[in-house]
Amino acid sequence: MIVTLHLIVLALYGLATALVLAPFTGLRPAPSTLPPPPAPRAPPRVLVIAFPCAGAAVHVVAISQLTLVGLGPALSMLALCLVLLQLTSERLLRGSAVSFFTAPLATGLVGLALLSGLTPSAEAIAARNIWFVLHVALSVLGIALMALAFIAAALYLLQFRELKARRFGQIFQLFPPLERLDQLNRFALVAGFPALTLGVLLALGYGAQFSGGLHVAKAQVVWGIFTWVVLGWAVWVRVVRHWAGRRAALASIAGFGAVLLVYVALKLTQPGAERFL
Amino acid sequence: MTGQTEMGGGIKVVGVNHRTAPLDVRERFAHGAHEVPRALARVMAAGASGGVLLSTCNRTEFYLVADDEPALEAVWSLLGERLPATPAAGAREYGYIARDRDAVRHLYRVSAGLDSMILGESQIQGQVREAWEASRAQAGPVLHRLFQTALHVGSRVRTETGLGMGTASAASAGVAVAGKIFGDLAGRSALILGAGDMAELAATCLSDEGVQITLVANRTQERARAIAERLGGRAVSLEEAWPHFATTDIALCSTAAPHAVVTWERVGAVIGARGGKPLCILDLAVPRDVDPALAQLENVFLYDVDDLQTVAAQATARRRDEVPAAERIVEEETDLFWAWYGGLGVVPAIKELRQRIDELRATELERALRHLGHLSPEDRARVEQFSQALLNKFLHQPTIALKTAAEQGHGYGLLEALRRLFGMEPPA
Repeated sequence: MIVTLHLIVLALYGLATALVLAPFTGLRPAPSTLPPPPAPRAPPRVLVIAFPCAGAAVHVVAISQLTLVGLGPALSMLALCLVLLQLTSERLLRGSAVSFFTAPLATGLVGLALLSGLTPSAEAIAARNIWFVLHVALSVLGIALMALAFIAAALYLLQFRELKARRFGQIFQLFPPLERLDQLNRFALVAGFPALTLGVLLALGYGAQFSGGLHVAKAQVVWGIFTWVVLGWAVWVRVVRHWAGRRAALASIAGFGAVLLVYVALKLTQPGAERFL
Repeated sequence: MTGQTEMGGGIKVVGVNHRTAPLDVRERFAHGAHEVPRALARVMAAGASGGVLLSTCNRTEFYLVADDEPALEAVWSLLGERLPATPAAGAREYGYIARDRDAVRHLYRVSAGLDSMILGESQIQGQVREAWEASRAQAGPVLHRLFQTALHVGSRVRTETGLGMGTASAASAGVAVAGKIFGDLAGRSALILGAGDMAELAATCLSDEGVQITLVANRTQERARAIAERLGGRAVSLEEAWPHFATTDIALCSTAAPHAVVTWERVGAVIGARGGKPLCILDLAVPRDVDPALAQLENVFLYDVDDLQTVAAQATARRRDEVPAAERIVEEETDLFWAWYGGLGVVPAIKELRQRIDELRATELERALRHLGHLSPEDRARVEQFSQALLNKFLHQPTIALKTAAEQGHGYGLLEALRRLFGMEPPA
């Protein structure tokens, strides 16, 4: 049942991805001597909203049947968080540009979740309680918000490049204004940091309360703290140092890139990494 | 029809436009209103009998009534002198020539907005009128008629088709671009450099979006004050405006200065003090008001007329559906003008034919009367009346046929036949 629901989710997210990326296929800039082509036509708004909404609804049902333990369920939940954040930010931004990144990313994450397996071991299920579920949920939310900050930053840099280069193609037409992307980046970082901090604190509390100390892989601790520090730094430069615009976008991308890089490196090199996400 | 009339040659248009020349070349070729009479005088001295110079940010075109070579050479030479390093082909490299009916059609298309970078834009009609008025003394009757009808064509196209629908000017494109930087423009600040029509139009577009016009800077204060009073803000001199580049969100530049006024030296350091805060500069002037080097500053988004017209052109893509209807009007009006213009060639031909046959009549009458010396003066007068009546009857049908054919725009064939049959020389 869980797998079937995830397959439905995968199909709906896949359709949403195809729809949002459609304007970018088959259009090339016209030679300068000819009149420019008409503005790219966005896909029907109702479908752009309907597919991820339907996907998210099915996804919520699927997630409710999961134990939230193990890599597959965590990736699935991350995908759902991303789609929900996408729908929220689209409402705020009055545009569908965030979905250019979130739609394929969520589709990929659901695909990976299916490949990783969605049923955890009996030992993992036994360890599950409310502290643990909250820790996973808040940590995943924090990471999803950080990914959203990264997406907003990437959109910002793309739009910035087009505006500086005076190119007025699909990106100029379809992406939101720089100011709004900057605001989204700031919002995602500022909201993501408390969520991730709480997630880390809950992990510490869970360890002390139920496991008689922190019995987790060293790699997981290193990555969790590193992620927290990087996100903290990104928030600090935005809120305290008042970085904005391109510099803040670059900081977000660098931070998110570093987190991903360190995760991959630890997964590949550290013993016990199989327990870690 | 060759388009040659007794009024000094055929109709020609020679010039450059946004399709054939880049902005930096067009701005060199642009003529201010004060330069028009002298430029036309030079071309007319080379043999043109009439001339109108249409110079906008998108085109510099000489409309001439002239024989081919000398006058056209004069135009290329005049434009070529404005190039810094003359290419092998001179100004010709960027230009085009249209003759006779094609020249008429070209002006009609220009006036209708069919040849504009922003399809169907209406500003060109005012520019055609201004060009005609600025060249009135040198236009001559053919070009007077041509420009008068061109304005009529522009009006017809705009009222009878949807070619002018929607807002698609460089000014509105400027608002769209600023919106892509700042999002909501309400509450943003803008300073305006220049107080011409374009500056006022663009400032109005910004003001309509809720942008606060803080300053209107111009060399002459009177006009700046009028705009400032209407849109808010205060009128200042250009020199007073430079420090405000540190705080304003949008700078709209549309002065008539012949060179860049917003230079690195004047505002580079001031913009550097903004601390990364974005500045959108809309340069609507030709020649450009803003030193392109300022775009190198990370927080400066600089757009010139070409950029904004590209944006506007995208927005007006749907106007393309109206092009066939507009082209039909242009063709109809071209036919009408050409019929009128063809009539100009027919009238002198008829006059010449009548004169020639009348000379024959007089010669033959005189010869006949020498052999009829017995006739009374009354009879001699009757014979003369008879010859005159015969001449009139003889010429009546050809005259009517020629005039009718000319009015229908195909008098050329009959005119040629007439010239051959009666050994008449074509006009020089």
